Amino acid sequence: MKESVNQSILQASLQVSGPRRELLIASLGCLMGTSLLLLGIQFYQDAYAYLEQSQGPKNYFTLNKKVSGGALVNLGKNDQNFGPDELLEIRQTEGVRRLGGFSRNQFPVTVYIWPTGTVGLGAAAKADLFFESIPDEFLDFIPPDWEWEENASFVPIMVPKFYLDLWNFGLAPSRVEYPSLSTKAASGMPIEIFIGKSREATLEGRFVAFSKRINSVLVPESFLRWANQKYGQPDAGKFFFLWKEGTISGPPISPSALSALRNEAKFTEWEVSPLDQPANRIPAAEALAEPVASDGPSRIILEVVDNPSPALHALIEEMGYEMNREFPEQDLIKKALNGLFLGMVGIGLIISILSISTFASSFRLVVGRASEPTRNLILLGFSKDQISRVFFHRFIRLFSTTLLGAVLVSWASKYYLAEKAKDLGFESESGLSAISLACLAVYAALYLILNKRVIEKSVGELVNQPSSPIRHP
Amino acid sequence: MLIELNDLVPDPLPEKIVEASGIWGGELRIETRSKVLVSAQSGMGKSTLLHILYGLRQDYTGTAKVDGTCLRQFSTQEWERVRRERISLQFQDLRLFPNLSARENLLLLPQSNPAAPSLEEMAERLEMTPFLNQSLSTLSQGQRQRMALVRTLRKPFRFLMLDEPFSHLDETNQMSACSLIEEIVDRNQAGLLVSSLGSTPHLPFDQIIEL
Repeated sequence: MKESVNQSILQASLQVSGPRRELLIASLGCLMGTSLLLLGIQFYQDAYAYLEQSQGPKNYFTLNKKVSGGALVNLGKNDQNFGPDELLEIRQTEGVRRLGGFSRNQFPVTVYIWPTGTVGLGAAAKADLFFESIPDEFLDFIPPDWEWEENASFVPIMVPKFYLDLWNFGLAPSRVEYPSLSTKAASGMPIEIFIGKSREATLEGRFVAFSKRINSVLVPESFLRWANQKYGQPDAGKFFFLWKEGTISGPPISPSALSALRNEAKFTEWEVSPLDQPANRIPAAEALAEPVASDGPSRIILEVVDNPSPALHALIEEMGYEMNREFPEQDLIKKALNGLFLGMVGIGLIISILSISTFASSFRLVVGRASEPTRNLILLGFSKDQISRVFFHRFIRLFSTTLLGAVLVSWASKYYLAEKAKDLGFESESGLSAISLACLAVYAALYLILNKRVIEKSVGELVNQPSSPIRHP
Repeated sequence: MLIELNDLVPDPLPEKIVEASGIWGGELRIETRSKVLVSAQSGMGKSTLLHILYGLRQDYTGTAKVDGTCLRQFSTQEWERVRRERISLQFQDLRLFPNLSARENLLLLPQSNPAAPSLEEMAERLEMTPFLNQSLSTLSQGQRQRMALVRTLRKPFRFLMLDEPFSHLDETNQMSACSLIEEIVDRNQAGLLVSSLGSTPHLPFDQIIEL
């Protein structure tokens, strides 16, 4: 069949002014709904990609001995450190690839962090801190500045990546003097390190890397060994109260100071108690009988082949060790994100459905207003499909403009937020992902199919309504 | 096209009219390629007959057949095809598009009649050339009637139906129109059914029926 009709004349014959207000509302609704839907889907992917990327490796664990009761209760019982035999046993357990010990500072450390980038400018974040070190082979990567030579005044520091997140999302928003920091900005902050109770030494430090594997404040092993030798207090953390004749005598006392008093006349009658449990008193002589703690580490890091093997679990159970995954599970964050994005997608869907129905009713009205020319065209031999197509093309023109607007709005929002996130150290691809665009294509197809049906039905009803002069059975 | 009507009575027609009619309630056979004039006063059902044959009305009793097929059996798609290719009807109320120009009205067809002269030639013969590019709403009723006739003749057909086509035309224009109609009907080897209010147009009718 030769299509002799000029399409533009056909369109002109059916050109009636539509319900402008309804079409505008439908278009705006479609724009908002589609943008929300698209952004929800896109952000969901971005957030998951970020979480996946920032999640620590799953085959690293730390082990320590269970601490129960006060320090004194444990005195003379279990050594809190791992002995060479224990380390060997763990190393030989099935599924364990390697292990390394943590060393800890034996001196007080206070740090001043200067977020402005200059010492003395603005407010410093001050904190009493601890340092740990592990063999370099357990680091996720060795940063270029991860070197310390004896007597060097600069100390590289590595902190967990989520410390930076805590700073940006916890501390910075609540304190006007602390700005949000990107990884780069955080690496540039000067840190003053004060060592010793009365700040015997001041060193310079800087965060040189952010670890996704080790949940601790790390410094190079060589530095910690040197600093412990130089500033270490062997009795650090082992003070207790000295009881004479039923009352506490003087300030807390260290084991070495107590040992110096062992030749006193009434030493055998004296008692000691832990600082946090003054009621748990034991004879002072018994406290001194504590075996010398082994030199081994109190905390070890373990790399396992995949997940901890049953044999390792059994050993941990038997020996009363405590196993920690290095980083907290992100399930809760994922659940919260799920809720947030489902909500966003849900609201987008509701607005979209409303806009679909507004579009549908508006186009029923458009078709209704063009009832007279529609009937005349049918009488000339035009098919329902040909006429529906004219209305549908009109809808497509409006819908594609709206859809393009939604893509632009989503793209611009994503670009703006990605730039903002970049300042905070989140790297995300700007623009919309292929998955988002695929979802948009499915959504657009559904939208088009639904409205096509509505238009075809409206034209069909016009032809078949009882008052129509062209009614068919 | 062979048309057969048997006991055909449209629903709202008064019994008195049915009894006096030469078509309603009786039998009528319009042979292929025959030319028929249906003449009657207003309200006797001339347009109703044409509308039934064009598939616009189902509210009748009796049977109406085209080439042996009962009209009630035609589906929507079949009616679309009949109107597009087989039957062309000029409505009494013309059913033109007032928002289009005269030329656009003539061009607005799903399919054109290859046996018909060009649009320009037909317009020329009916003295409508100067008005082709005018908006239809600026034309007089007589000019519109001629435009509707040209449009009806531009459609392909095997059976042509004209509902009071000359009611607003003067004698000269009627002659020109009749000549054009006869020529195209013959070229198409088609049948013709014309309704009139009593006058007899200058066409070689085989059969004249008084309703």
